[in-house]
Amino acid sequence: MEPRDTLARFIENARAAGFQVTVGEASLSADAGVSEALYGLADSGSVVLAASPQEPRSRSLLPDVHISYLAEDRILPGLRELFELEGTRLPSALAIVTGPSRSSDIEQKVTVGVHGPREEHVVVIPTDHG
Amino acid sequence: MTGRSVQLFATCLGDLFLPDVVSDAVWLLEQAGYRVEFPAAQVCCGQPAFNAGHYRAARRVARTFTRAFSRSAPIIAPSGSCTSFVANSLPALLDCQPYPIHELSQFMAAADMAIPRLNEGVKVAYHHSCHMLRGLGVAREPESLLDASGAIRVPLRRPDLCCGFGGVFAARHPELSCSMADEKLSSAPRADVIVTADPGCMLHLQTRAAAGTPPVMHLASFLAGRVKR
Amino acid sequence: MRATTKPGARFRSESRQVLRDRHAQRVLDEATNRLLEGRLAAWETVDDVQSLRDQACEIRRRAISSLDSNLEQFADAVTRVGGTVYFAKTAQEAADRVVDISRAAGATLAAKSKSMLSEEIRLNEALEAAGIRIVETDLGEYILQLAGEPPAHIIVPSIHKTAEDVARLFSEVAKRPVGPDLSELTLTARGLLREVFLEADVGITGVNFAVAETGSICLVTNEGNGRLVSSLPRVHIALMGMERIVPGLADLAVLLQLLGRSATGQTLSAYTTLITGPRRAGEADGPDQLHVVVVDNGRSALRDTEYSEMLHCIRCGACLNVCPVYRKVGGTAYSRVYSGPMGAVLLPLLQGLARAPDLPNASTLCGACADACPVKIPIPDLLLLLRRDLVEQRVTAWPERLAFEIWAAAWSSPLGYRATACAARAALPLARRLAPYLPGLSGRRLPVMPRHSYRDR
Repeated sequence: MEPRDTLARFIENARAAGFQVTVGEASLSADAGVSEALYGLADSGSVVLAASPQEPRSRSLLPDVHISYLAEDRILPGLRELFELEGTRLPSALAIVTGPSRSSDIEQKVTVGVHGPREEHVVVIPTDHG
Repeated sequence: MTGRSVQLFATCLGDLFLPDVVSDAVWLLEQAGYRVEFPAAQVCCGQPAFNAGHYRAARRVARTFTRAFSRSAPIIAPSGSCTSFVANSLPALLDCQPYPIHELSQFMAAADMAIPRLNEGVKVAYHHSCHMLRGLGVAREPESLLDASGAIRVPLRRPDLCCGFGGVFAARHPELSCSMADEKLSSAPRADVIVTADPGCMLHLQTRAAAGTPPVMHLASFLAGRVKR
Repeated sequence: MRATTKPGARFRSESRQVLRDRHAQRVLDEATNRLLEGRLAAWETVDDVQSLRDQACEIRRRAISSLDSNLEQFADAVTRVGGTVYFAKTAQEAADRVVDISRAAGATLAAKSKSMLSEEIRLNEALEAAGIRIVETDLGEYILQLAGEPPAHIIVPSIHKTAEDVARLFSEVAKRPVGPDLSELTLTARGLLREVFLEADVGITGVNFAVAETGSICLVTNEGNGRLVSSLPRVHIALMGMERIVPGLADLAVLLQLLGRSATGQTLSAYTTLITGPRRAGEADGPDQLHVVVVDNGRSALRDTEYSEMLHCIRCGACLNVCPVYRKVGGTAYSRVYSGPMGAVLLPLLQGLARAPDLPNASTLCGACADACPVKIPIPDLLLLLRRDLVEQRVTAWPERLAFEIWAAAWSSPLGYRATACAARAALPLARRLAPYLPGLSGRRLPVMPRHSYRDR
């Protein structure tokens, strides 16, 4: 699949999942938790975050607003490819995030920001071309 | 038996409660040129007992089917659930070879029968009986026959939902069963008539007929023009 | 909590109550319809969903047919990455084990994210009896915990609660008035439960899938409480039904592609987390200890039986959402834990038919559940087998068995059949007059039996 198609699919699915997606620079909110995504998944519009000394779990859980920086060339088609690449070296916690925290437990109406961040942003860093 | 002969399986509900439906089914087959035999030894396929878990009782009754019918001519039944049972469950229950049984509309569509246009302009809502829909996979056939008879098909809200008969279920859970019937009956307000190809569904829905709900009719009777008679 | 009803009476009495509750009827219709539509739309987005279902079915079959070796491989892998695995044969053992681990960690507060298995083993009661406070953090479960009620649906447990109901409950806990506005309720819950996440000594989760190959456990949630509960407290206890095992990550990928789509219509839930061991050196958070309690409680006995396919269930709820009976009676009619078509099969299998004799008959066998199941469990076939067992194990009362034997004797010949037809024809007018007074028949217009049957023409 063409890289541009993968990117387009990722953006479309990520937005459908509730992410606010920008390509290139984005203005940072002072209170936002900022993470570097390990990968993106085009099929579902997901961002993959790995726990590590540099990336505590709570950074993508406790703040109101969370931003993931995702390199364009780290967007994979889907879960199958993710597991093929990372299966032998899984981190202690691998979070596949597909939109903001949500619930429809009250009257089946969707509400966001129940326990995790209310706003999820993805900033895609384009691959340099030449 | 010759190529244009069929055996009729009236089914117990058909025989006892809906003889007109059975006669209509025979008429449809005869007007298409078939010779319809009625093996007199038939009683019931045994499904009610089987579905209730009474296998020994089911076997006893199911044997009347094997004693009555041969495999040398198609067996036609005006019932999706009985056809589904004989086709899918009876051979394993009795450890016998399968029978060439067909539900009426399934047979008529496969034989490409000419359907008299006796229902011009009648608005009909078709209820797929669960066994026919999922057990036999017969859905397009009755719909195409209804179209061919001149009827205008109107949709049921939630056509996938069971009518609530379920054999013994209707007796075990009457309030629930009736609630399901009521919902089915009020789910096609624009229809002149609700048609189904299953005597069980039909009788069950008729027990809850009320002012304002469309009458319920069997497919065979509808195609034979009983609406307009 | 309502008093326990005698086995066999629950479905009938509960279903009657729910049928007469118009609000419940509306809520059940809307919720199941929405989830069903969601699944249908999501299945459409898959290139070849039938092929995916076949793959998933095969994966579950492989997982269960080699259950022992898969579990052994899993336990070894978990140990290698620094976790501890325990096997619990019974519900009691499982609850005791969780209590022991919590006590050893000096816990006074446990935060729990949704786990039906924890309901099955009555974990909350065991922890409370041991003096450990346990708080449900899944929003729906939290609401039910405050209300003191059991879940009514496996995916949307508080399906029957209104915003007003929730506002009242939250106002009591927060000790200030809370309005029924959805954002206000959400913010309130977030605040109340945030404290719990931060203070809890132990976090308890379920396990959606466990991967034998890597010793990983997979949690699928939308709210984020599963992640918080397994990240902030020092001890993480994961409660796992033994059948949740999958052989490898490639298998997990297939099942995850179906779970979200089948449950709610989402491609993936908001948080799909793969946990492989406790925190590692240098990490700023994460549990120091990871304990996985693998629970049997009747599951292993089902392998190599006609019922083994029930172990394939991935708890998506698709069968509930499509069931014509469930949408009218809700979850409480079935049991405290599992409900709908999957509950009607699983409960009698885990607890024995004598304890849930009414469940296999709580179905019209319409077959919609089998069409909806992402892993192709033939639920109607299993219900039929259970009904057969009810009769053959004599759980079915003798009057019914006798009635069917008499009917079969009469209907084993055309002569006997004709005789009963005559008798019925004679009795029907009387039955029609008595019908309003007979519980099974009131409300129905009994069918007319023509004077001559078809064969007499």
